[in-house]
Amino acid sequence: MPLGIYVSRCGGRVDAVVDIDQAIAGVSKRAAVVRVFDDVFDTGVAERIARDVTDCELDAVVLAGHSVEHYSKSLSANHLREKIAEAGVNPNRIVAANILEQCALAHPDDPAGATTKASAIIDVAAKRAEMAEALEGTSIEPRCAVMILGVTAEAVVAAQRLLRLGYSVVLADREDGCERTGRAQSMHATASYVMGHPAAELVDSARLVDGDGYLGDYHITLDSPEGRSTYRVGGILLARPDHTEWVDELRHHFRVDVDDEGFARSLDPSMHPAETVDEGIMVVPVRRADALERDKVAAADAAAMALVLRLSQSTVTHYRDTSAVDESLCGGCATCVRTCAFGACSIGADGFSHVDERRCVGCGKCVVSCPVGARDIVNSPHDYLLDAVRSLAEVPAEGDKVIGFLCGGCGYPAADHGASEVANRGRGYPASFLPVRIPCGGRLDTLYVLEAFKAGFDAVCVYRCREGHCHNLVGNLDMDRRINLLRTVLRSRNLDDARLRIVDISPFEGERFVESVEEVYATVGALANGKGGPL
Amino acid sequence: MSKPTLATVALGGCEGCHVSLLDSDEGLLDLLAAADLVHSPFNGDEEIPSRVDVVMVEGAITNSEDLRRLMAARAAATTLVAVGSCAVLGGIGGLRNLNRVSEVTAEAFGDAEKSELLPTLQGRVRAVSDFVDVDISVPGCAPETSLIVDALVAAISGDAHELPRRNLCDECPREKRTLLEHSSEFVSDNVYALMELDVIDEKQCLLEQGVICMGPMTREGCGAKCTVMNVPCRGCMGPSRLEFEQGGKMVDALAAVLPAGAIMYMDDLIGTGYRFSMPVSVFPAAYDHEGGDDA
Repeated sequence: MPLGIYVSRCGGRVDAVVDIDQAIAGVSKRAAVVRVFDDVFDTGVAERIARDVTDCELDAVVLAGHSVEHYSKSLSANHLREKIAEAGVNPNRIVAANILEQCALAHPDDPAGATTKASAIIDVAAKRAEMAEALEGTSIEPRCAVMILGVTAEAVVAAQRLLRLGYSVVLADREDGCERTGRAQSMHATASYVMGHPAAELVDSARLVDGDGYLGDYHITLDSPEGRSTYRVGGILLARPDHTEWVDELRHHFRVDVDDEGFARSLDPSMHPAETVDEGIMVVPVRRADALERDKVAAADAAAMALVLRLSQSTVTHYRDTSAVDESLCGGCATCVRTCAFGACSIGADGFSHVDERRCVGCGKCVVSCPVGARDIVNSPHDYLLDAVRSLAEVPAEGDKVIGFLCGGCGYPAADHGASEVANRGRGYPASFLPVRIPCGGRLDTLYVLEAFKAGFDAVCVYRCREGHCHNLVGNLDMDRRINLLRTVLRSRNLDDARLRIVDISPFEGERFVESVEEVYATVGALANGKGGPL
Repeated sequence: MSKPTLATVALGGCEGCHVSLLDSDEGLLDLLAAADLVHSPFNGDEEIPSRVDVVMVEGAITNSEDLRRLMAARAAATTLVAVGSCAVLGGIGGLRNLNRVSEVTAEAFGDAEKSELLPTLQGRVRAVSDFVDVDISVPGCAPETSLIVDALVAAISGDAHELPRRNLCDECPREKRTLLEHSSEFVSDNVYALMELDVIDEKQCLLEQGVICMGPMTREGCGAKCTVMNVPCRGCMGPSRLEFEQGGKMVDALAAVLPAGAIMYMDDLIGTGYRFSMPVSVFPAAYDHEGGDDA
């Protein structure tokens, strides 16, 4: 499979620490194209890579440099991936190798260690790109309709923008927001326009009782004194991210990030204040008590714009990262049904497990709970994770070696933020800490932990979301239960379970991440017995 | 043309697989019509002939004598059929791997001198496939008579033989009810031993009644004889894919279904999860930081 390796110097930040030539020496041998750019986000780079894809018929691409987080947050960052995909590489085979935040910036005082680690990270990413199944995309025409939850000043302004652009709008409030807004004196013209518009539907005393779907095509069922109705919309605007009841109802059907107060959180409050982990769900940032009218209008504009940017596309292509079922293995034991927090799994009349693709969010918990390996998930397939654990175990390191399973919702971004903590104190954490990204703590199979110890890691760290914060509702708690039961298995084999550590963390806690890594090295260094290693 | 030859060998085990073979009644006649039985525990010859077409091996490798006889069997056999959980998975005797050999012999013999005539114990119990290539595997403790006969007939006639790949739930007739509901609750408020239940619902899935059943983690093919008789599956057929370990998967699969706290305080979590498959698990024995695998 022709492979292209593209390394970003990230404006000199990578090669200030990592010897790029040495880091790619191994993987270059199996690559059809290797290029080093000053920065992959520079003008013209996407076109250059696209030409390579055509000329060399590339099937897999590794983008070494920035964290994967950079490629998923906004439409502009997505541009690079889109260009490469358009040229002919399946999106599932475009893989980021994070040699900036979790390598060069994490180990500024250990160039040799950082270079070894970069080489391993690129190698694992290349394997991921080559092993990944090609995903088939489904293109849909986004519905020109938006559901707005919570009727606030921002909601009304955003509704007015959307209505003017030809969208239909459903405004839902938990109390009497629609009625109140109709009577309000401030912004009276805007409110009257919205409330009287034929394409606006108003639902007071509403509760969200069901929902499924994705950007461009959501089904939302609301209960109200008028009865139960299902609405079909292309996007959702949460105008009251601080209303924990709305947030809670949404979280039972869609992935929603929450903060310590249980409020819905955007991807990045400074750069992407409206976008959330679900592409079609936007939030109006929680406003300060003394917010001015112009702040409210600006926030409403930002949220409406973010929605319009996505819904105005003529088609949206979804590469749904849903769980697959191998019916030659499935015996219909139903452990997946009970594990799935979104009700996406069920046992059909044929006795096999079936996945509702509109409800599956791709957390991978069913893959772990399946006792026969009949389930797998395209984004982090079983074979890849097992291979990554074994390959990383072969990375040479002096002293103890630790593998970190990083939940994509918390631990992975926290590790990225760890880079600024390292810069603050001018000292890196050990480069023998090797990261593996998993979509959710709940994706961690006990087998990966056992294999990590067997392959020679001295400690295993698992990063999971703080209680109540998991995208997948209880992926963190499911993982806790499994890993704590696994401690009994480790102890039965005389392995000291102090070598297995669970860290709960929030995505911005870079300092906590770095401290947790140093703590685990301190713990392991003090242990005399139960060292992992091949039998 | 002379008939193909068949031999059976019993290594570290209870010879229950041989008893299961004898249970085949007329099946035995069919088998003996297809092949000449040239060597078995029933006919007194100590050593296996040097060439045999099909050799059935029962039992795990627990001591030096087991290993020597396995090597002789493999050298003689055109087709080697491993029969029973001990041969295929290491079996129930593999639970001794949680202790060191010195502890095992102290428990068995106390202060008594070990006779020179006794073979030396291996450092840990191992499955047959740890030492030699196996052509056909038939797990089970003991395997259903028909499974053994089918495998031997296939071996004799040179046909392919494959095991079923799904888990026991596929052939278990017990009904699932609450397991099929979308809910974040556990299916039972506690974990119970079978005798702790006031009433056993004879139709309902045992997991739903709070009884740990290894069915989901276990290969089908036995006909679900235990669960039909209200006895939870103990997992003797082993995992349906050998790269997964039964005990680890028990944790993965059941932690979201039954109260994990109660699972943790079960009398014997390890013995339940690894009853038959300890020797083929990722860590097949207690890890000894001083001497490693003290073989």
